[in-house]
Amino acid sequence: MVLRVEDVTLDFDGLRALSGVSMSVDAGGLAALVGPNGAGKTCLLNCVGGFYAPTSGRIVFGDAAIQGLPPHRIAAHGIARTFQFVELFRGMTVLDNILLGRHRHMRAGVLAGALFWGRSRREETAHRRRVEEIVEFLELERCRKELVASLPFGVQKIVAIGRALALEPKLLLLDEPSTGMNREEKENLARFLLRIKHELGMTMLWVEHDMELVGDLADTVTVLDFGQRIAAGPPGAVLHDPRVIEAYLGRAASREKGAG
Amino acid sequence: MAFGGGYFKTTYAGDLALIDTRLRRAALGLLVFALIVLPRFASPFMLDLVAQTALAAVGALALNLLTGLAGQVSLGHAGFIAAGAFTTAVLVEHRLPSPLLALPAAALVGAGLGVIVGIPALRLKGLYLALGTLALHHVVLYACGEFQSHWGANTGVSIPPPRFGAWVLKGTIAWYYALTAIGGLVLVLSVNLQRSRAGRAWMAIRDREIAAESVGIDVARYKVLAFVWSSALTSVAGALFAYQRAFVSVEAFGFFLAIEYIAMVIIGGLGSALGAVLGAAFVTLLPYGIDAGVAALRVPGGAEYYLFPLKFGAFGLLMAAFLVFEPQGLVGIWRRARNWVVLWPLRYRPLRPAS
Repeated sequence: MVLRVEDVTLDFDGLRALSGVSMSVDAGGLAALVGPNGAGKTCLLNCVGGFYAPTSGRIVFGDAAIQGLPPHRIAAHGIARTFQFVELFRGMTVLDNILLGRHRHMRAGVLAGALFWGRSRREETAHRRRVEEIVEFLELERCRKELVASLPFGVQKIVAIGRALALEPKLLLLDEPSTGMNREEKENLARFLLRIKHELGMTMLWVEHDMELVGDLADTVTVLDFGQRIAAGPPGAVLHDPRVIEAYLGRAASREKGAG
Repeated sequence: MAFGGGYFKTTYAGDLALIDTRLRRAALGLLVFALIVLPRFASPFMLDLVAQTALAAVGALALNLLTGLAGQVSLGHAGFIAAGAFTTAVLVEHRLPSPLLALPAAALVGAGLGVIVGIPALRLKGLYLALGTLALHHVVLYACGEFQSHWGANTGVSIPPPRFGAWVLKGTIAWYYALTAIGGLVLVLSVNLQRSRAGRAWMAIRDREIAAESVGIDVARYKVLAFVWSSALTSVAGALFAYQRAFVSVEAFGFFLAIEYIAMVIIGGLGSALGAVLGAAFVTLLPYGIDAGVAALRVPGGAEYYLFPLKFGAFGLLMAAFLVFEPQGLVGIWRRARNWVVLWPLRYRPLRPAS
């Protein structure tokens, strides 16, 4: 188990966003986190990523308890994430965005960078090489020097995945990567997710609304509703669980029940 | 914007190079040559204008580092310049006029002030940060004024010309070479910063703070670093200012100076090193330009009476005009002109295969 979420509760001034949620993600697994709007999926992701500190409960990554650490410390532990609304650096090119993912692996300070000589120059070239590998992996060659603001939303979401991959994380948190994508882009995304899993061997925690994608790709599915875990297990079983169907579609009307 | 053409890069080092084509190398060589031989042709007045521009460019590049790259608004810039100038004055009063001592001391004082502003600035954004830095400006100027009257120098402090061993930096031509070289050096350092780790981290904080945190950037640390480096460099510019003018007085560092520097980076183009230099040239030369324009019109008599307010008015009007009509500043105009020349006679880049 790479990530263990133990009994996490998150309160916002009396509003309980998560109540006693526990889940775990196995090494190398693609774990989906689903649930209707407002179920607390992104809240849980933000707790793992350090943007929210849980009110109570533990989040254990590897051997370390990481709940309550600031985001940049969590990134240093080897957790990278993407955002629902991409959150790229809009004034910069695709290359620079992905290079920023290398920040943690680079060393040059202000002075070394300003001199851009010797080690800092070699460092730039070396990390540019790593960035190019990611560009190739995600098939972004054609837009590597474009400003991200000028790219279609679907491509921006892939660039955001590239930026997260550049951190070389052990755990990748994906917040609704397929939202705003058309059919073709979703198929590409599915391909990239499988390649990340099989070729890079990264563990992923994946918040998703597209149940078709979840059913096809996920190893395990955890379902949240109103801040509580209502089901967990392999997708085949979970997605047919009556409680999950009820959470998504509501209870069958009593008239039908009576007729049955 | 990358242009197609006969140049195909085969290494990442080549792709990172700033001066990457023969045309650019030739243009740069020509510019350096022109700057070296300029004193043979130009009047001392012209040389002084270039030197003033170069010195203003150092200050503008320092402000661009903080406001343009890291996205932190500062109205305290004149305060940092004053701090550098008065550090020099204090050392002169203590009979330690050597620039080898004064310049590092100014940098240290500036860096210290940068920490003092930078840490509370972590909790302030936008207008509130602007007001916080304005408070620093007033505190520094008050301290400088106290120093000035304490030493019984009500009008100001005279600074002897900087001396390096037996050699004394003195005269228009020497200052022209010194300040142009320093300006060029700071420009190169700024451009390098923008294409390396720390500068990118600052731009990331400017563009999206929350995403910057998520890629592992310690946002608080980098914000303080931006204040420290920017104010250290600004204070060095202040020390140079003191040596060049050979005189330091609080009146020279009023709030209008801070506005002038903000105007430089905005009119030049926020976030661009070239823009900061263009803006510094524009703001430095504008008053002389207006003077020359009025002189050329040969208006009779009392015109000079209206000239003074006209300079201030033109300044505000131009700044507003740039914000409305050309938010990318002079550097935006420069880029468009360059693209036009490169593409001529076509109007658009040829279509590439769809991505």
